[in-house]
This record gives sequence, C-alpha cells and structure tokens, in this order.
Amino acid sequence: MRLRRFLMTACLAALPLVAAAPAAQAQGTIRIGMTAADIPLTNGQPDQGFEGNRFTGIPLFDSLTMWDLSSADRPSTVIPGLATEWRVDPNDRTRWIFTLRRGVRFHDGSEFNADAVVWNVRKVLDREAPHFDPRQVGVTATRMPTLRRAEKIDDYTVALITSEPDSLLPINLTNLFMASPAQWDRHRAASPNAEAAWGAFAREPSGTGPFRVTRFVPRERLEMARFDGYWGEKARAERIVLLPIPEANARTAALLSNQVDWIEAPSPDAMPQLRQRGMVITSNAQPHVWPWQPCFVGDSPLRDVRVRRALNLAIDREAMRTLLGGMMAIPVGTVPRGHPWFGNPSFNIRTDKAEARRLLAEAGYGPNRPLTLRVQISASGSGQMQPLSMNEFLQQDLKEVGVNVEFDVIEWNALFTNWRNGCQHASARGAHATNVSFAAMDPFFAMVRFWDSKMAPPVSNNWGHFNDPRFDAMIAEARNAFEPAERDAALARLHAAGVDEALFIWIAHDVAPRAMSPRIRGYVQPQSWFVDLRLPYIQ
Amino acid sequence: MLFYLIRRIIYAIPIALAVGFVCFMLVQIAPGDPINAIVPADAPGDVVEQVRRDYGLDKPLPVQFGIWLSKVVQGDLGRSLATGRSVWSDLSGAIQNTLMLAVAASLIGFTLGCVLGGLAGTFRGSFIDRAAVSVAVAGVSVPHYWLGMVLVVIFSVQLNWLPAMGAGPGGSGDWAWDWEHVKHLVLPAVTLAVIPMGIVTRTVRGIIAEIMNQEFVTALRGKGLTRGGIFLHVVKNAAPNALAVMGLQLGYLMGGSILVETVFSWPGTGLLLNNAIFQRDLPVLQGTILVLAMFFVALNLAVDLVQTALDPRIKRA
Amino acid sequence: MSMSTTPSAAEAELAVQAKQAVARSQGYWAGVWKRLRRDPLTIACAAVLLVMFLAIVLAPLIAPHDPYQGSMIRRLRAIGTTNYPLGTDELGRDMLTRLLYGGRLSWFMGITPVLLAFVIGTFLGVLAGFAGGKVNMAIMRTTDIFYAFPSVLLAVAISGALGAGIVNAILALTLVFIPPIIRVAESVTTGVRNLDFVDAARASGASAFTIVRVHVLGNVLGPIFVYATSLISVCMILASGLSFLGLGTKPPEPEWGLMLNTLRTAIYVQPWVAVLPGACIFVTSICFNLLSDGLRQAMDVKG
Repeated sequence: MRLRRFLMTACLAALPLVAAAPAAQAQGTIRIGMTAADIPLTNGQPDQGFEGNRFTGIPLFDSLTMWDLSSADRPSTVIPGLATEWRVDPNDRTRWIFTLRRGVRFHDGSEFNADAVVWNVRKVLDREAPHFDPRQVGVTATRMPTLRRAEKIDDYTVALITSEPDSLLPINLTNLFMASPAQWDRHRAASPNAEAAWGAFAREPSGTGPFRVTRFVPRERLEMARFDGYWGEKARAERIVLLPIPEANARTAALLSNQVDWIEAPSPDAMPQLRQRGMVITSNAQPHVWPWQPCFVGDSPLRDVRVRRALNLAIDREAMRTLLGGMMAIPVGTVPRGHPWFGNPSFNIRTDKAEARRLLAEAGYGPNRPLTLRVQISASGSGQMQPLSMNEFLQQDLKEVGVNVEFDVIEWNALFTNWRNGCQHASARGAHATNVSFAAMDPFFAMVRFWDSKMAPPVSNNWGHFNDPRFDAMIAEARNAFEPAERDAALARLHAAGVDEALFIWIAHDVAPRAMSPRIRGYVQPQSWFVDLRLPYIQ
Repeated sequence: MLFYLIRRIIYAIPIALAVGFVCFMLVQIAPGDPINAIVPADAPGDVVEQVRRDYGLDKPLPVQFGIWLSKVVQGDLGRSLATGRSVWSDLSGAIQNTLMLAVAASLIGFTLGCVLGGLAGTFRGSFIDRAAVSVAVAGVSVPHYWLGMVLVVIFSVQLNWLPAMGAGPGGSGDWAWDWEHVKHLVLPAVTLAVIPMGIVTRTVRGIIAEIMNQEFVTALRGKGLTRGGIFLHVVKNAAPNALAVMGLQLGYLMGGSILVETVFSWPGTGLLLNNAIFQRDLPVLQGTILVLAMFFVALNLAVDLVQTALDPRIKRA
Repeated sequence: MSMSTTPSAAEAELAVQAKQAVARSQGYWAGVWKRLRRDPLTIACAAVLLVMFLAIVLAPLIAPHDPYQGSMIRRLRAIGTTNYPLGTDELGRDMLTRLLYGGRLSWFMGITPVLLAFVIGTFLGVLAGFAGGKVNMAIMRTTDIFYAFPSVLLAVAISGALGAGIVNAILALTLVFIPPIIRVAESVTTGVRNLDFVDAARASGASAFTIVRVHVLGNVLGPIFVYATSLISVCMILASGLSFLGLGTKPPEPEWGLMLNTLRTAIYVQPWVAVLPGACIFVTSICFNLLSDGLRQAMDVKG
C-alpha cells in the first residue's frame, strides 16, 4: 500500500519532467484530414498534386535533394537529402555528379546506393526497364524535363545526364523519390506482371523516409509509423493517420468532433467557429500563384500590355482577402518582394482603378466599346482556393472599370488538361484567360514553362503561346548559370521583365491555412507547400 | 408456380444484358475520345495506342461491347484512371459499406414507416392519421443532403454526441458492431431513412385502410374477434406488399446514397461515384453503376419471387 | 410549362378534358371540383405555389437588389438586416433577391423534365397501350431496362458521363421520368381500350386517330397528369441534388441547390441564412406533393 502510494507520488512528480523532456520522447498519433478525395499514390511518385508529395511523398520517401522545411521565417531552400553534395561536370555541363549519403537503409532493410538511384531514374525514363511504370511518368517527367538518364560511377556516386545544360536540375530532383528496388523485386516475384507489382508495392511501399506505412485502406486511410532506422533526425510523433476528406464542412466537423487533430484548408467561414472552440489556425506565405493566365494570340484583347496592366490595377485584392477571411497574401508578381528572384520591376502591381480606366481608354475600350473577357475556370481543385467565390468577386470588381467577364466553368481535371492544349485549341472554347493556380518554388514551374516559347503546347504550360525572343534569351541565360548567385540574378531579371509585361493577372497567393487541435505541439509551417511531419507531436 | 419462377428468372437475363449495354454506352456518350476514359491524360503516345488495341477501341461498336462484356463477366471492370487500382478492388469494399448503410436506413425507415402507417391506417381520419401523413410527406419532400448538413451541425458540432464523418475510428476496414463504430452509422442512416420512412408510411396506411374495409375483417369483427386477433390477420395480409415496397426501397437506397455519402464522407459506392465524377474517372463511374444496377435487377427479382411465395393469391400469367 | 404548375390552370385543363370525355359524366368533374374545394390543405398548397410562382416570375419587378452584385463588406449578414430582410450570401448578395431569381431555375429544372417526360411518355405509353402486340412489347421491354436503374443513380450516371450543365441535367432527368410515365399511360390506356364505348366507337367506323384523340386521350390524360404532378417534387429534389454535386447549374446563376452548395461552409457563421435555399426546396416540394395527393384523392372516387 505504502509502496503503491510512493510509486504514484513518484509518477506524479515525474509528470512535469516528462512533459519538459526532449521532444524525441513525445508520442502519440496525429490524425490528419486531407483535402484529397483519395489517398495519394504510395508507389513513390504521388498523384494529387503537391498535397500528394506533402503526405505520401516526403514522409515515406526521400529524394536526392530536399526542401528545408524547418523554418517559418525564411523562404524554403534546397538542402542535401539522399545526396550529400552535387556539382556539374566542368567538362560536360549536361552531366551532374551526385555523391550519395552512406549508411541509409530502406524500410525493408535493404541498402540505399547508386544502383537504387539508377533504378529509380529508369522507372520513369527507360521504357526498356523491366520495372518501367507508365503511370508514374506523367507526374515525374514533366517535373524534370531535361533529365535523360543516370549512370553509376561507384556505389556512392552517380552521374545524372540532362538533354541540355540545366542549372535547375538539383531543384527539380526534389520530385524524384527513391523507392526500394528490393521491395519491388519481392513484389514482382509474387505478381503476374510489372503493373501488378507496382500495385502491390503501393499497398506495401518501402522508402527511406522518416515514416513507414503500417496500414493502407484504399480511399479511407493510410497509417504510418515512425521509422526508427531513419538516417536523419527521427520523427517525434509515433504514428500519423491520413484521412481523405474532400468536403470542407466534413473536415471542419471532423476536427470539431475530435475525429481528427489537424485539417488542411479549413473554409474561411468556419474559422471563427474553429478559433472559438480553441483550435489553432496556422498559415504562412507559400510559393503559390492564383492567376488569370492570358492568351497572347488570335483576337485576345489581352495581347495588349495596357489591358493586362489595367486588369492588374483594377482588382481590389484587399477586399478579396476579406472574402477569404484573411487567408491569402497579396501578390506583386509571381514571387514576393524580397525574394532572390523578385528583381526590380518598374510596373508596380497595386489597386488603382483610375489608372486602370485610363489604360483601358488608351487601349480603345470605354463605355461605348466595353471590353468583354472570357475566362475558363474550375469549380474546385487542388490549390484553386475558393475558385467560384473568388472569380465571382473578380467579375463584380472588374465591372466597376467597365470590363465584362464571362466564365466557362469546367471540371478541374479538364481545366488542368486544357492547360497543356493552349488557348487556340478547341478545348479553350475561345477563352482569353485560364485560371490554373500553380506552385512557384522552382524556377521552371514559376516562370520558364510559361514564358519560354519552346514550352508552348503541347510541350508544357505556355497556354497563351507567349513568344518573345528576349524572354527565351533570358531563360537560356538562367539555365546556363551554374553559380547560385549568378542564377538568381538571371532569374530576377526574368521575373522583373515578366512583371513589366504583365504576363499574368496576378490575383492571390495561397497561405495554406490549416487548423489543428491545441494538443499538437512542435509544428512548424514553413514557407512552402510542404510540411516536415517529423516535427509535430501530440501532447 | 415453378414454371413462373423459371420464367421470371429467365426474363431477368435480357434485362441484365440491356443494363450492361446502357452502362457500356455511358463511356460512349461521354464527350471526347473514349480512349481518354481509359488511359490517363498524360500517358505517353505509344501506351495510348497499345491500350486502344487491347480494348479493341479500333473495332466497331458491337464488337467493342462484346469485348467489354466478356471482360465484365470475368470480373474485370477495368482500372481506375486516378489510382491505377482495379475498379473491382475499390468497389467490393465500397459495396459492403453502402449495403450496411442502406440496410440500416431501410430498417429504420421501415420500422418507423410501419408504426406511423399502421397508426394512420387504423385511425383513419383522426388527428393521429393527419400527423403521421404530414411526417410522411415531409420525409419524401425534404432534400436529404440538406437534412444531413443540418444534423451534423446539431449533433456533431454543437452537441458533440455523434461523429460527423467516416465509417468508424479505424475506417471501414475494422468495422465491429460496438457503439464506437455504430455511432458513425447513426446520422447517415437516419438521414437516408427519411425517404423510405415516408414512402412506407403511405403504403402501409393505404394497405391497412383497404384491408380494414374488406369484408373478412368486418366478418371477423362480427365473429367477435378481439382487436389483437384482427390485427394479426391484417398484418398477415399486409406483409407481402409491405415487404415488396421495403425490398425496392433497399435498392433505391443503394443507388441513391450518393448525396448522403458525400455529406458524411461515408466510404461507400456513392462517395466512390462522386469522386469518379469529380475526377472524370469513367471506368470507376461505369463499373460502380453497372454493379449497383445489377444489384437492383437481382433485388427486383428476389422481391418478386418472395412476394409470390408469400402470397399465393397473386397469380401471374 | 408554367401553365401546368398553377392549380387554377390545371383545373381549367381538367375541365376541358371533361367536356371531351364521353364516358364520364359532367357530374364527375363537378364532383372533383366540389371535393377539392372542401380540402383546405390542397387549396392552401395550391395558393402557396401560386404565390411562389408569381414571385419568381415577377422577380425582376419585385426583387429589391441585383442578384449578381454583391459587396465584400456586407457578406453573410444575418436575417433581418435592414435592406436585406433575408440576409446576404457569401459574396454579399441579397439573399431574398437570389432566392427569387434562384426559384426560376429551380422551378424550371424541376418542371421541364417532367413536362418533357409527360409529353414523350404519354405518347409512347398511349401508343403501347392502344396498339398492343409487338409495339407494346417493344416499348414496354425498353422501359423495363430503365426501370432497372434506381432513379438517382440513373440521373447521376447520365449527367456524370455527359458532364456538368443545365442542358445535360435536364436531359438526364427527362430520361429518368419517361419510363414511369410510360407505365402509367400504358396501363390506363389498356384499361380504357377495353371499355365498351371504345368498342362502340370502333363499330361505328371511327378512325383509330379519332378514337385515340377523343376517347382515349380524354380519359387517360387526367390520371397521367396527376401522376406527373407527383413527380415534380421528386424532380426538383433530384435537380437540386445534381446542382449540389456540381452537375447542374453553373455559377453565378442562382439556383437553390447550387446556392445550398456554395453556402454550405457558411453554416458555421450564419446557419439560418445557409439553410434558406434548402428550406425553399423543402417547402416547394412539400406543396407539390400535397397538391398531387389532393388531386388524386379528388379524382379517385374510391378515395
């Protein structure tokens, strides 16, 4: 009896100590409500956009280069991942040498080495490889368009070969996740063909990431546990459960009724209620652009730079922020002021309706000849924020400067597919602008694919067929700048020129709102689309 | 009798085939090249051509239907565009969940409907009758997805009594019949039950009232049978028709749960269908509709057979 | 379209048929009218629907604001706000105005498919019933196929495959309602065909067309019409459900199902404003149901 009381007292006394102990000892299960309608693919190359990379890419797998997700205060930069260092071959600038991290093991116990890297490059780029998977090509190859093949130099050194000199490759490689060849071979032995083996691999994946999959119920939940053999700093939470809850109200209700601990993208109107019930709302600037992307050919009125500038000036972005409950950042270009690629544009993006009217009048539009714009938009979609409300708001706002806007609302997937077809394709149905939001952490994604004339459809996303040799030259210059400072300077010139030409109607940056239970500690929201799931834990 | 059974079963076969044809045509009427319904939009060109040959999409429509049908008969419903998983692997789990939801909703709807309808039919013209009929009309008139939203706000968010979404704390994979799991079923099942409740109430009320007016009941009354005795007779005579309505309602709920499942994120066929529409995942859309329609055909047949067995008075040519 | 929704017009139509009908006496229709007049609930529903119908038709005249023009400063105001008696929506647009305009599309999408199905279904059903034999077989067996799909599933399947849009939604819903109307029309026609007076007409040398026009249509339109009115409520709920799923109307057009969808997230801020479109669907649907019940009771002498 006395002993028991003693033990109890001791335990109680130890409690505060435990709480204050290093977070590595913290435990618990974090349940996350995602916006995706299904668990993103777990074969190593997730679908569902960057929400897929966020939840079934980075936590389960690693890439040669990774994003630094440890800080909320500075832009997220590329850091060493499974490669410890890399350099371009001074004699052949299409050949990159990557030195690999030693002592890294996959979840299945097999070793990560140069063979694994070559195997993972071949899975998407070598049609002849036994494990080539056409399903993974789409989400991978477009994100590293210049990568051609990999060569093993020794067990811990590989060469990656590109089609042309490309200083952006190390950034692109954050999207190539390293899956375990040994695990795949095991599944292949038990499957009739390679496709089935990839299916089996997706059910029981193996990577080198800080979490390993423990249970997979398609369309319902993915459970992962801390991988204790992780090469870097280990995760604090013991388990993470991912739940696809595409409907915003269901997510909010799930958090409020304690079915999940963390939800992605709570709807702005639910935020007061969430705050009132003690939930923590987090947000941070994110390299994301929610634009209208103009068509530069045919009879598009947006061929005229004055019209494009006028539209950029006519939008009351502050009012839109009110609409979104404060959950957006106001853009002044594709990247924010102060970013290494911002540069010195002379055109200042702001709200100035008088100037907008003047520019429109100068371009020949007025009460007698009103400007009518057709914009293709979606009703929902990953990264699209609140597309219907926001576009309806724009419609009202532009009416004030005498611009009539008509919408062609189509499915998100269709809008996304049309993005590759271009504004002269039948699928555009005569639209003068399209409304596909995009990630801007990588110069290729942020600028090159829109402003390079070689990137016109069907190659990439230069939807508006923008074609200006000045821009092509600036892009080549950036691709050939292998010194980071030199490359950033080239990108800054490119960005400034893009702003001056008003190559987008920049409307909003997403700030990635999340709502979570106050029991979650240690969480850091970096300035990124991604999150380091090793950091948070449940108290 | 036996002849009738066989005839009825044989008659279901062409219907099933025709239903298959309608499902096959769904992909054909969808705008765009049907190949886009089978391979992802960003698949390489040679893969697209390979698949086109594999699926026989270069052949005439009737041949395509034959190829498709032979695959379906072997249980191959194709692969999801979005996930690459076989449609059947996702569908089989979803059907169980939807069946569970639909059965629960049918039971709730049927029980409430019988009670309300029985009361209304017995006390025809009274206040009870009018109240029961009002509830029934409200049940068939309410947009039930809206009702679901309202119930979530009241019972999950405000009162915190019942969960707002999902099929149990560990998903439907480890379903068990304990309160921890069953409480996830309550709100969606109640929401889904309002329509069958309304319909069953009206049907039962009609049946009871008709039987009560029939001569044999009057005769029984004349014989001095007690209320309870008469009630038993009425139930015996009302059962076949009521069961038929109930069976059909189960089928309607299986196919009609899409809105409720969307509101409650219930991992059934409805949610699968909604996601398939949203992602334009036509193989999943087609497979789900085919399986649900086949289920409905089978259910119709079963209801017919049971009804005939229960009530030998129903004579059919 | 609008004609068949107002009860007075419906009765006028019934009265016209009554004159054509040979088999049924003038007394029958007088009786129907008499019974209807004694049914306060049906009359009340008819009145509610009439008022609603007038309100949405006259929306441009009576709506206090522009249905498309909003303002971020006054978004999601509560019911009872000055100038905005029913509050404002997520873009600060007047709810009363949006509901009035929204009713137009909701009613349109609730009634058009039934009306189209009524015309097509009656034609095919009467044809099947009157012609009998192989024609009957062909029409009725095809109908059976569509009966093998639960109605919601069929509507979702067709508009899901065709893609979002009002036209596709109406097409899908029309297809859903044709088979049940064919069945009713066929069974009523078969019943009438065997009646003595049709035989008498045939014997007196009347052409098939005349028999159908005068004797059959005159007697079957009423029951089919009553049945069709009971479908309007189902159709309205289905149509709004399609919009709710994103398969029907597209913004910024106001429509009750779509408004319910876009106001969904506001249920935490302004629950009473957010439930208004649902309540409109509910009330309309209940009134159509009760009206249809009342008509059926009034016309069915057996009660």
